[in-house]
Amino acid sequence: MEKKEPWARVSVVGVLGVLLLSHAAYSTIQYRSLLKITDEQFSGPPINVVMELIAGLVLCMWAALTVPGKFLSILPHSDENRVVALPTNLDFMIFNHRGKAFPLSIDAK
Amino acid sequence: MASHDESSVSRKKSSDSVDEISTFNAENMQNNAKIISYSRTFMSIIGGVIAGILGFTGLTGFIFYFLVMAIMSVGLAAKAGFSAHPYFDSWNQILLDGFLGGLLSFVLFWTFAYDMVHIF
Repeated sequence: MEKKEPWARVSVVGVLGVLLLSHAAYSTIQYRSLLKITDEQFSGPPINVVMELIAGLVLCMWAALTVPGKFLSILPHSDENRVVALPTNLDFMIFNHRGKAFPLSIDAK
Repeated sequence: MASHDESSVSRKKSSDSVDEISTFNAENMQNNAKIISYSRTFMSIIGGVIAGILGFTGLTGFIFYFLVMAIMSVGLAAKAGFSAHPYFDSWNQILLDGFLGGLLSFVLFWTFAYDMVHIF
C-alpha cells in the first residue's frame, strides 16, 4: 500500500458504504413520494432501507477504523522505535539543555 | 523536518515515582491522536447522514449521535487491542477524546440529509 496522508486515501469499503447510503436516501425519497400519493404520514423508512442503512453504517465504520492508519507504539524503548540514524545537521545542534536531567541508561543492542 | 533521519522527538513526562522520568515518542502520539480524530469526524458525518435519512427529529437524533460515538469508542479500543498502554497516555484519550467535537458536523449533515430526503 502506498504511503499517503490519511485524508487522501480511500478504500473500497468506504466507497461502498457511501454508495449504500446514497441508494438508501434515494429509496427513501421515492418512498416519500409514494406516501404523498396515498396521503399517509411518514413514520419510518421501509425495512429494507433500514437494513441498507445498517449495512452502510457498518461498512463506513470499518472504513473509518482501518483507513486512517495503524496505531504506533509510543514507548521509547520498544523495538520499532529504535533510533537507527543520526540527523545530518549535527553541527547545528545544541546539547546544553534540560536533557541532562534524564537518568543515564546505556544499553547497546 | 529533514526527510532522511529517523530520530524521534521525545518529551518529558514525570510519573508518580520521583526518580523515574518516562518519555514518549511525541511523533507517534500525534499520529495516534490524528487517527482518532479522523475516525470520529468521519463517523460523525456518516451518522448525521443516516439520522437525516431515518427522519430523526429532536432528541432522538442526539441520542443516535451518542450511540454512534459509543460504538466508535468500542471500535477504537478494539483497534488498540484493548490495551491503552503501548499507544496512548491514558484510556480517556481513546474513549472520550473528540466525543463532542463531531457534534457540529453531525448536526450539519443531519439537517442537510433531512432536507434533501424529506423536504425537497
